[in-house]
Amino acid sequence: MASRKKRVAIIGCGAVRVGRYPDRQESELALRVIRDALGDARISKKQIEGLFTTPDLQGNIGLQTNLLSEYLRISPKSMVEICCGAIAGGLTLKYAADEIQAGRIKIALCYGAVREASIDWFKNLTRGHGWSMIEPTALQPYAAYGIIWAYALSARRYMHETGATEEDFALAAVRNRKNAAGSPVAAFTKRMTVDEVIHSRPLASPIKLLDSAASLDGAAAIVIAAEEVARDLSPRPVYLLGWGLHHDNSCVIPTDDCRKSISHFTATREAAKKAFQSAGIKPNEVDVAEIYAPFSSHELIIPEDIGWYRDGEMVKAIRDGETEINGKIPINTDGGLTSRGHPWAATPLYETINLVRQLRGEAGSIQVKNAKIGLMHCEGGMMNNGLVMLFGRD
Amino acid sequence: MTSRPNYLKPTNLESPSARKFWEGLRAGKFLAPRCENCGELFFPPRSHCPECLGDGFAWEELSGRGTLYSWTELSFVPPEFDAPLLLGLVELADGVGRVLARITGVTADGLYIGMPLIIRISNHSDEMALYHAEPLRPE
Repeated sequence: MASRKKRVAIIGCGAVRVGRYPDRQESELALRVIRDALGDARISKKQIEGLFTTPDLQGNIGLQTNLLSEYLRISPKSMVEICCGAIAGGLTLKYAADEIQAGRIKIALCYGAVREASIDWFKNLTRGHGWSMIEPTALQPYAAYGIIWAYALSARRYMHETGATEEDFALAAVRNRKNAAGSPVAAFTKRMTVDEVIHSRPLASPIKLLDSAASLDGAAAIVIAAEEVARDLSPRPVYLLGWGLHHDNSCVIPTDDCRKSISHFTATREAAKKAFQSAGIKPNEVDVAEIYAPFSSHELIIPEDIGWYRDGEMVKAIRDGETEINGKIPINTDGGLTSRGHPWAATPLYETINLVRQLRGEAGSIQVKNAKIGLMHCEGGMMNNGLVMLFGRD
Repeated sequence: MTSRPNYLKPTNLESPSARKFWEGLRAGKFLAPRCENCGELFFPPRSHCPECLGDGFAWEELSGRGTLYSWTELSFVPPEFDAPLLLGLVELADGVGRVLARITGVTADGLYIGMPLIIRISNHSDEMALYHAEPLRPE
């Protein structure tokens, strides 16, 4: 059932190449991409009525949007810094769209500026600093250095259930790297082979270095507007067709119930189902997709949860190249998290910007022919909080 | 003993709501709270029952028996441990779901999903006891 609510559209994008910006403040990166997004949308900063951003963990104590409003000399009617794991970038778009659809504002700016490579808060985890994100009793002694161990347990279980091999995971990493060469923002563009992935440094078996997304710095901004404004301003607005959001009550990996899967995720499945329902389209109508897989193993898991494949079928699909740019369902055409790099909270904005380029027909060498419908998936908290958004052009 | 760093201290790890659990470990017992209001037995221990939000508990000793649901070999580990470290997700037979635990007494080559394991307790230092899983061998 297509929604009768007023539609919203993306009319401008800006992003810096993912990498290391040790001598740049978050606010400087933010202003750079905001300027680019405003230019792309052909609007003035004075037209920004809503300001939505991702967390800054480095100490603006929640006053980031206040600060940016001063730097921009704007007075938004609606603004918020959204903190909800790495799904935050996607949620800025959702809440901006909500505000526009509620009629409170007409144009919103969503942005995220992340400098993770420049800080070392993960290191503190091994120095006696507790991490309230995880359960001290169950995990704290061993599970230092982020949550790679949770993805590793998930990957191993998927291998056990489907017969997938480490080579199959490596194929996804290699696909991403090949695609990244055509991306204007990817951090890693040098071609690599399955053999190189397999023989890269072991981190948390079966995950190795080249299966992994590097935590890096980045900034991205998107201008989103009510349909009537978008039509006036933009020659090629990209419409939000529908979205779905679902949280499956586990913070990291499900431990409280032996019936819960760790190789497939209810949150992704429910979010995708709701997104397709609200947009009134079917999974096989998607022309190009961006999925949030911090490790190559989950490049196989997520497409099954979204509904393009049944459980275990991605093993054959990745071997057959079905997710390549010219394949049945092109996935992560700009390198995905593993090759674009992963400025965590901003990553969903990077994903969306690549879809906008694809749907506008501006993606150059990575262009999917005649792409009309794009899917963006992102998550927070090890796949247990999922957001799926569908975008399309007229 | 070399002077390797030790950040695994009660002050860093033992949240007030789980103090009885850690005290239990020091006494050689693997405990879980049972809610005095609704009867739910759950793990890990928390301040409130996740089912009914009750906050009064009786503490029960678990068998710690289970089977390996998934595992990973960590190549980089906290400073208190030697790499590589095996981390397992163990399905407990006690009805409290799964528990994450370091696995000892076996190498990665010897591990398989479905392997019978049991939770054991050992002293990490004078003030701290930790639990781990090891293969359950026929007695």
